[in-house]
Amino acid sequence: MDRGTPLVNGGKAEGLSGGGTTSGKVPVAGAGGWLNGHSEPQRAAAQWQEERTRSLEDNQLSLPSLESAYSAILRGLGEDPERQGLLKTPWRAATAMQFFTKGYQEKISDILNDAIFDEDHDEMVIVKDIDMFSMCEHHLVPFIGKVHIGYLPEKRLLGLSKFARIVEIYSRRLQVQERLTKQIAKAITEALQPAGVGVVIEATHMCMVMRGVQKMNSKTVTSTMLGVFREDPKTREEFLTLIRN
Amino acid sequence: MEYAKQIVTPDMNGVCCAKKFVASCFESFGDQVFEPKKVTVQWKEAKAPGGADALAALEEAYTSILRGLGENPERQGLLKTPRRAAKAMQFFTKGYQDSIPDILNDAVFDEDHDEIVIVKNIDMFSLCEHHLVPFFGKVHIGYLPNKKVVGLSKLARIVEIYSRRLQVQERLTKQIALAITEALKPAGVAVVIEATHMCMVMRGVQKINSKTLTSTMLGIFREDQKTREEFLTLAKE
Repeated sequence: MDRGTPLVNGGKAEGLSGGGTTSGKVPVAGAGGWLNGHSEPQRAAAQWQEERTRSLEDNQLSLPSLESAYSAILRGLGEDPERQGLLKTPWRAATAMQFFTKGYQEKISDILNDAIFDEDHDEMVIVKDIDMFSMCEHHLVPFIGKVHIGYLPEKRLLGLSKFARIVEIYSRRLQVQERLTKQIAKAITEALQPAGVGVVIEATHMCMVMRGVQKMNSKTVTSTMLGVFREDPKTREEFLTLIRN
Repeated sequence: MEYAKQIVTPDMNGVCCAKKFVASCFESFGDQVFEPKKVTVQWKEAKAPGGADALAALEEAYTSILRGLGENPERQGLLKTPRRAAKAMQFFTKGYQDSIPDILNDAVFDEDHDEIVIVKNIDMFSLCEHHLVPFFGKVHIGYLPNKKVVGLSKLARIVEIYSRRLQVQERLTKQIALAITEALKPAGVAVVIEATHMCMVMRGVQKINSKTLTSTMLGIFREDQKTREEFLTLAKE
């Protein structure tokens, strides 16, 4: 399938309307920004094409070291790892953390390849209120919320559940909400080359609620608008109105 | 306080109360079922805080966790994460360092009030001791004073002490109830906790809307149905 120009060269993803330099411009990997696990610009690959950084085998192999790390944490907190309630906690916490970062084991192309359909539909499609659970990469504490995705198709539609799967792949990682929003938008752009994509995430960060400033009701909202969603205020407005309750 | 001399811990993290405790302190409170394990006096003690060594050990553990997950601890976003995560975890378990007498000693007042006092919707954040993942919710506390009332914020502080630990929701509920009982010797105490467990929401069965409710009724709240009903009605939204 047509994957467009690789991002590593700073090329624009094809299919975004408007040839302007600002709209839909893809961040170069070397900007040190948003490619998880790829801090060295040289080896950073387009998200679309990147290899999985982890496999099921890796999970098995790293489980013992994760378990001993969690035992050390229990001891360091002054707890007794030998008491009944904590006996298997290192293993449970390690497997839980592996589950919370299972996005590293998956690749977009695996889940999307079959579900792109040619359809002559040129109105906005929105999938909203997708529950999202991620881990803040700064404190290793969950942040949870909802993702709203809208796109304007250009002859190609995506199976609706695939949006939720894209959210899953990127949210089940050590994340920053801004980066998560952008990665979801980029993945949809590369998969479909639509006329435009809009992604809005509204989340509660446990690191702000359970500790630190301890503001219970605060929410963080981030958005990424690409293509016609960025250029045309009416389209953007329609999207934002439809996702509002 | 005579009861403090023979006290055994309401803190049951791993060292549950013995039957002796039940006999001496709770004669009027009906059946209390505790596991007959080792008994520790923890009412007056506080655990020694970790210090710099503990923090360093935690940091190292978190660095190894990042590597074990396949991440790169040297990238910009993760450089200081071990330290932040270690401090966050220490904050989430700061209840081990606090003791009830410190927060309660001054705020128990003699008052001739014999109606239910309820403090509800106390936000609670704790860590599941099985998965080290947060669970959070609301605590509703009611008690029937017996000549002694407690400063209202102290009920919330009691919740904080016991929730900022590695916990099990059932034990948390009971510990809060027992702490209030021992501090005030009221005619009865009721504690209800309604919480969402991230270990059930984010992983495993992944049931987003599920809530877990636990309650502990002591004294007159356990024996008298009408009193219990009054509490439950008033504590409900």
